[in-house]
Amino acid sequence: MTRNQRKATDFMIDVGLVLFGLLMLAPLLMLVANAFKSPAEMVAWPPTFIPANPTLDNFRSVLGETPLLLWIWNSLSFAIMSTIAIVLTSSIAGYVIAKFPFRSINVVFALFLATAIVPFEVYMIPLYFQVKDLGMLNTNQGLLIGYLVMSFGIFLIRQNVLASIPDELIEAARIDGAGELWIYWHIVLPLLRGPLAALAVLAFFQAWTSFAWPMIVATRRAAYTIEVGLALFSTGYTVDLGKLSAASACVLVPSVVAFVILRRNFVQGVASTGMKE
Amino acid sequence: MASVEIRDLRKSFGPIETIHGVTIDVPDGEFVALVGPSGCGKSTILRLLAGLEEVTAGTISIGGRVINEVEPKHRDIAMVFQNYALYPHMTVAENMGFSMRLLKKSKEEIRREVGSAAEILGLTPYLGRYPKQLSGGQRQRVAMGRAIVRQPQVFLFDEPLSNLDAQLRVQMRAELKAIHNRLKVTTIYVTHDQVEAMTMADRIVVMKDGYVMQAGAPLDLYDQPANTFVARFVGSPSMNIFAADVSGGQVQFAGTDWCAAPADLAGAVQMGIRPEHFTIGEGGAVLAVENVDPTGSETLVQGQLGGVPATVLLRTRAAVRAGDLLPVAVRPELIHLFDAESGDTLPMNSEGL
Ligand SMILES: Nc1ncnc2c1ncn2[C@@H]1O[C@H](COP(=O)(O)OP(=O)(O)OP(=O)(O)O)[C@@H](O)[C@H]1O
Ligand SMILES: [Mg+2]
Repeated sequence: MTRNQRKATDFMIDVGLVLFGLLMLAPLLMLVANAFKSPAEMVAWPPTFIPANPTLDNFRSVLGETPLLLWIWNSLSFAIMSTIAIVLTSSIAGYVIAKFPFRSINVVFALFLATAIVPFEVYMIPLYFQVKDLGMLNTNQGLLIGYLVMSFGIFLIRQNVLASIPDELIEAARIDGAGELWIYWHIVLPLLRGPLAALAVLAFFQAWTSFAWPMIVATRRAAYTIEVGLALFSTGYTVDLGKLSAASACVLVPSVVAFVILRRNFVQGVASTGMKE
Repeated sequence: MASVEIRDLRKSFGPIETIHGVTIDVPDGEFVALVGPSGCGKSTILRLLAGLEEVTAGTISIGGRVINEVEPKHRDIAMVFQNYALYPHMTVAENMGFSMRLLKKSKEEIRREVGSAAEILGLTPYLGRYPKQLSGGQRQRVAMGRAIVRQPQVFLFDEPLSNLDAQLRVQMRAELKAIHNRLKVTTIYVTHDQVEAMTMADRIVVMKDGYVMQAGAPLDLYDQPANTFVARFVGSPSMNIFAADVSGGQVQFAGTDWCAAPADLAGAVQMGIRPEHFTIGEGGAVLAVENVDPTGSETLVQGQLGGVPATVLLRTRAAVRAGDLLPVAVRPELIHLFDAESGDTLPMNSEGL
């Protein structure tokens, strides 16, 4: 292939990717656009991409009539706490399974993996009754109980520890006088930064977008997460597209911001899994 | 500084015993090399000393104190691993000051100690770098530095130079030796390279399959190997061992009398001759030369002696070619005799020869 031909091919690939990206983005952009439209323009045909008379009415009524900000707050605190819990449980469990090879540990690991096979929905209802008996319905703790551990996270960390933390590193620290917790905190955790960041992104969005569990645990309007709250817009007899769009647009913002912040970590963490030196 | 005593040490992994009763004494300040082929248990002994593995039977003492049950951090040792085990997320200075930081030493004190160790090792310009920004030799030095800063009673090294290229290995060998001469810390050094052991150690312990074959000063091992294994292992190129016969008070091989046999020895015997002890002479034995490697100052000749492969190292630039028939001889007092079955050295009555 000549240089020019290669350039042309690259250009075609770029064009294809840009078109594809726009296609993926279009529904989201449409959603944001809809949030600024009046009800009449919303149903007009052909649909407009840029609202003719942008209005903030939808936002005003959504924020006025529903506790949208409270729901976002509920989701946010739930997702953040779940992320912290999953990062901690996965890193401890993954590290112990990888580096403390007593015989029973493989059984434990197999059990962890087995939980990945059982869909959450299967044990959701028994878990619900436990949460109810504990009196934790409508609380953040109750929500968290279903999202403290992630078997994939344990697996991911175990593989990373095996691949990128040699035994000698931990042994050297032990000889130098470090305790086990110190080693975990000052050596294992820093070396797992990449995969943990990737795991954090996964865990955050898993909690942020969870629906069935918050739906049954949160029975009071004030305890809803944003997903549950949004769903209620369309469950009545009418669907108020304008309000739904405005609410959805509000929800998109934190997701997009979080992704932009964590994107580099995420890509690096997933791509470099086990590929260090 | 302290002496190290290992008494009848045994180690089993599950049902399999890999160290079968090893006894080693290391006097205070001595540099001892543990050598042996791969899998003979050198690393295992070091790990037992460091407390990274549990002792199955026997005792280990450092400075007179039995430390079988003592945790690694309280054994007052420093270990340098083959892969250096540097913390990738810490700078050279942080790596070196790691143990002091754990001892809650002041920042000022840590900086001073790290600084002086870096001075010794020529690492001062690299203190702010991360391990991945260093060459292999520099990483090796950082690992050394980490051990030095610890100021331990005992240094343990597990093949610290095996990841370096040949030239750097020779240089680091000298540096390590110089550091030992300066600090005089008791050192146990594991290697499978007998040249490294010969040049660096005050004493060498030769191991095989979890047993100590022989322990002694480098030249003693060379001059008086306890058995054929040590004889072959120590010295390069390794000793020729021939299956000989005793008859008429003489050790005979390839139709030639080589030396007087000790009294009351009869039948088969193994005869060991170092390649460098052969001389071109008027003796009866003839080497059928197959291969000649001139290295400049020396000539390495390989061939058949009495139908058995033999190596001869001539200290001169000899005009020998493949196909030649080379008459070779050895001074009788340089010949080693070993038991035909066990391979143990037979006492020689070398007086008067
Ligand atoms: N954790 C372990 N579990 C089971 N067997 C082991 C373990 N560690 C070592 N061994 C066995 O013990 C023996 C000695 O191993 P060791 O690592 O001490 O050898 P070495 O002399 O250091 O060899 P090398 O020169 O290759 O490093 C080997 O046969 C090895 O298979
Ligand atoms: Mg080893």
